[in-house]
Amino acid sequence: MTDADFSAQIHAHRGYLLRVAVLQLRNDELAEDVVQDTLLAALQGKAGFSGRSSLKTWLTGILKHKIVDAIRKKVREPVTAPLEEESQLDDFDALFDGVGHWANPPANWGDPEAELSRREFFDVVEFCLDKLPPNTARVFMMREVMELDGPEICKELSITSTNLWVILYRARVALRLCLEQHWFAAAARSA
Amino acid sequence: MGRLISCKDASRLISQMQDGDLPFGQRLRVRLHLLFCDACTQFERQVRYLRDVMRRYSQ
Repeated sequence: MTDADFSAQIHAHRGYLLRVAVLQLRNDELAEDVVQDTLLAALQGKAGFSGRSSLKTWLTGILKHKIVDAIRKKVREPVTAPLEEESQLDDFDALFDGVGHWANPPANWGDPEAELSRREFFDVVEFCLDKLPPNTARVFMMREVMELDGPEICKELSITSTNLWVILYRARVALRLCLEQHWFAAAARSA
Repeated sequence: MGRLISCKDASRLISQMQDGDLPFGQRLRVRLHLLFCDACTQFERQVRYLRDVMRRYSQ
């Protein structure tokens, strides 16, 4: 394959890569940079592409590394709230009463599998992700979308496992509450 | 038998279980709590469901 052919094939996946990057970084400009970096690295690393995996899979692998790098830089930026501020447990107190019972117990969502094929549901998911504190959202994406394990994330971001558990707990509690309020409760009302 | 845990503690441990194994004693306390607590049972289902949601979202 000539370099020009290879380049054309790589660029055919640009749209897909950009979509993944925007989802995970939640920042269009940063996502553009990361995809640009990925395409460049792919061109320079053409020899590393064995053809055993699909080109898309190979590019996605490179993209993941670039995204992790970008997130690591982002959470260390002094202009964003430091990660430590998003790993405090105090603000969960309102969710529970004095003896640790749920103030508003999670409702039964029935069989929510069907929602996974509805586009409007994912609009609500996106809305709820947007409401998370930015670093909390990024860490949650590293765990659940990029599927990095706990020790990997702690190493990448230089945080303790306790910090990580609190951040992920915060993300899950907030997301489930938001989905319940804006989707499942609304569905129950209109049923 | 270990002491009973509150929903506040149980929910935190349930989340933690998504990110690796809990020590046996803690896992047992969570399981015991879930036997008697419908709210945390829902929470546990929803936390696992969120994982499916995020995988689908990124496809």
